[in-house]
Amino acid sequence: MTTGFWHQVAAVIERDLLRERRRGDVLWITIPFGAIALLLIPLAVGTDAALLRQIGPGMYWVIVMLFGVLVAVGKASSETLPQQDASSLAGLDPAAGFVGRSVSSGVLLLIFELVVGLVAVGLYNISVIGIPWLVLTLVLAAAGLALLGTLTGAIVNSTSAGTTLVPLLVAPLSVPLLLGATQAYDGLRFGHSILSWVLVMATVVLIVAMIGVLTARPLQET
Amino acid sequence: MQSQTRIRRWPWIAIGLSLAVAFTLSMVSPADSVQGDLVRIMYVHVPSAWLAYLAFFVTFIGSVAYLITRSLRWDRIAAASAEIGVYFTGLAIALGMTWAKPTWGVWWTWDARLTLTAIMFFVYLGYLALRRTTDDQVLRAGRASVLGVLGAIQIPLVHFSVIWWRTLHQPPSLVRPDGPAIQDPMMLAALIGGVVAFTIVYVSLMVKRIELIHLEDRKVDMESAVERPVAGEAVTAPELGASS
Amino acid sequence: MSQWAWVAFAYTIAYGSLVVFAVSIAVRIRTTRRSIGDTE
Repeated sequence: MTTGFWHQVAAVIERDLLRERRRGDVLWITIPFGAIALLLIPLAVGTDAALLRQIGPGMYWVIVMLFGVLVAVGKASSETLPQQDASSLAGLDPAAGFVGRSVSSGVLLLIFELVVGLVAVGLYNISVIGIPWLVLTLVLAAAGLALLGTLTGAIVNSTSAGTTLVPLLVAPLSVPLLLGATQAYDGLRFGHSILSWVLVMATVVLIVAMIGVLTARPLQET
Repeated sequence: MQSQTRIRRWPWIAIGLSLAVAFTLSMVSPADSVQGDLVRIMYVHVPSAWLAYLAFFVTFIGSVAYLITRSLRWDRIAAASAEIGVYFTGLAIALGMTWAKPTWGVWWTWDARLTLTAIMFFVYLGYLALRRTTDDQVLRAGRASVLGVLGAIQIPLVHFSVIWWRTLHQPPSLVRPDGPAIQDPMMLAALIGGVVAFTIVYVSLMVKRIELIHLEDRKVDMESAVERPVAGEAVTAPELGASS
Repeated sequence: MSQWAWVAFAYTIAYGSLVVFAVSIAVRIRTTRRSIGDTE
């Protein structure tokens, strides 16, 4: 890990965030999509306030897991093969590319979580409790989902089914994140320790980050 | 030629024989004192579930070995095992539901092991879907092996989180999907016989499935060799003195 | 349904699908072998 590596990571993050500012995929597509999903659920299950308050946090996290992955997918498919060849010819370390794309996806996912979270709190009257721990689970969920999305995005890269395949691959693998986030919220509500769930989420983040860095070069070569 | 044909046919004979033995054992074993004849479903359900786990473990090994050695032989093993694994996972779930309905009155319970098996099914369904998107053998092997490793390493985490979810969230359910405590030697023989027979079936299917992947790859190679344009094909010889 | 009916149902699923799975592999091996001109 030389300084060159982190410079490359920073360059990738800057490029991704600039592209988001220019095109606004997350702001104009993914966030409204998540918000309208939260609006649709009460239309389907009924508008009983107590029921919505009870299922609200779970619904919120399901939507984050299913729609949030689209943030990482958009990034994977926005890079064409000639662009990838150009970056690798320019000497971009594939691992730096992976870390950079994951961090930028993570940042965008955190914004997605916060905005959609505010919508959920408003629509379902969810109580916001244990803010430091809540923020920690939001960050870990964003990081884990960003890493999973970026890694599977690199795996299905430029295949015919690319964008439809990533959600199928990520959804079953994101189960520990979903359980960690929802159980941590329940733990906060009922005053249990949530440390074990935070550790589960952190382990997912570490393991996927490690696999992503180790397999970045083999994936680039193929 | 004759001996080669025999070699190619042994998996089918092995499958037929082992299934016949397993079927006989499970039919002659006595009924359970609590579950009655329903216990016989266990002799196909448990071996299927065991093979589901074994097959996915082999896929993991094949994927790791491919990433290290870059030999397509390992990729074929991983692919064949994943396909057979998805089949046995689906079978184990279907048989489990068939067992659950008459025993507990419901098709599905949110038991940790059931949930984990269903999640595994989808992880490896995605693996097979990924393989279908790429024709190039080396490209496909590289992508699939990374997913094979990622899927297998995530499984223990899914396992622990699902178990914690069940134990922390709700009191243990009254009906647990543990098989009945087996004391009768005939019942034990039926169960072990089923596991051994299904494992032989798995190995035999693997041999034939790998043979099929090998043939399919050769077919793709031959087809692409025909389609590939020949260098200089577009160049035509200059015609001299054509104008008259 | 009686217990034996459930058992019969389960065994039909298990053994039936195994046979279908094995036969499908055998048929695909045969057709692929033919299409590449490899005779047994």
